[in-house]
Amino acid sequence: MAAERRASVTWNGDLTSGSGTIDEVGSGAFGPLDVSWAARSDEESGGKTSPEELIAAAHAACFSMAFSLALAKAGTAPERLRTSAVVTFVPGTGITKSALTVRGRVPGLDADGFRDVAEAAKKGCPVSQALAGVPEITVDADLDE
Amino acid sequence: MPRVVRKAAVAWEGSLSRGSGVATAGTGAFELPIDLPSRIADKPGKTSPEELLAAAHAGCYSTSLAGEIARAGGTVVRLDVACTVTLDEVADRGHLIVSSELDVQASAEGIDAVGLERAAQVADEGCTFSSLIRASASVSVRTELVST
Repeated sequence: MAAERRASVTWNGDLTSGSGTIDEVGSGAFGPLDVSWAARSDEESGGKTSPEELIAAAHAACFSMAFSLALAKAGTAPERLRTSAVVTFVPGTGITKSALTVRGRVPGLDADGFRDVAEAAKKGCPVSQALAGVPEITVDADLDE
Repeated sequence: MPRVVRKAAVAWEGSLSRGSGVATAGTGAFELPIDLPSRIADKPGKTSPEELLAAAHAGCYSTSLAGEIARAGGTVVRLDVACTVTLDEVADRGHLIVSSELDVQASAEGIDAVGLERAAQVADEGCTFSSLIRASASVSVRTELVST
């Protein structure tokens, strides 16, 4: 079973002074979203998204699903997982790092067990595998206080 | 070179098959519900990691191509870039992202179809996301020059 997902972007003008829009996505869940080179490469994005932010969202979402499945398979289904992904982009070099941080509420599991399953989920999730060329993919995992 | 950091967060509740989550952009540009049925079945309204990657790839490639057309002496009027990302089950390896297909319609002055084809190829080599994902999936680019 293959699942295809589609998105469309319109770009006007050149790279540095032009700008674009993620017009629509197949699901209709979002768009239009503005994108520009400045929003992508400056430290401050001015509220605009960028490919790196979308990759961060994809990675955090994919990892959350893989981790939820792996925890349930181990007999310790999570009540709640909160995951963030921070993607580092160096213009001219590329994406150098994706750092996942997850905090979870999981009855019956200790922190070491939580970390072990998180590490395995990080390796197995399809987005991590698609990002295999990123030099550094890390996960910081701990139970909720 | 400046180091640019972009963050997104997901809050997930419950199991994979019946649970659901919300993905929030660090910039505040989006806040999106996600769940498993939206990822593997054609269920409208909710996004998925693959759809977010398709948006990322289309966004990354369009900036790259805008740069290359200018470098080739052309002037971009408008680029329409669609991207389709496919997740499939691969024997012994589970679910993998197997391909990302870009479909470009370019309206540009001062560049012909051959020049566009060449710029599209260089843009693919220069696009961060194309080079990343090519390590594990196929990437294809189809271009068409449309009248301005």
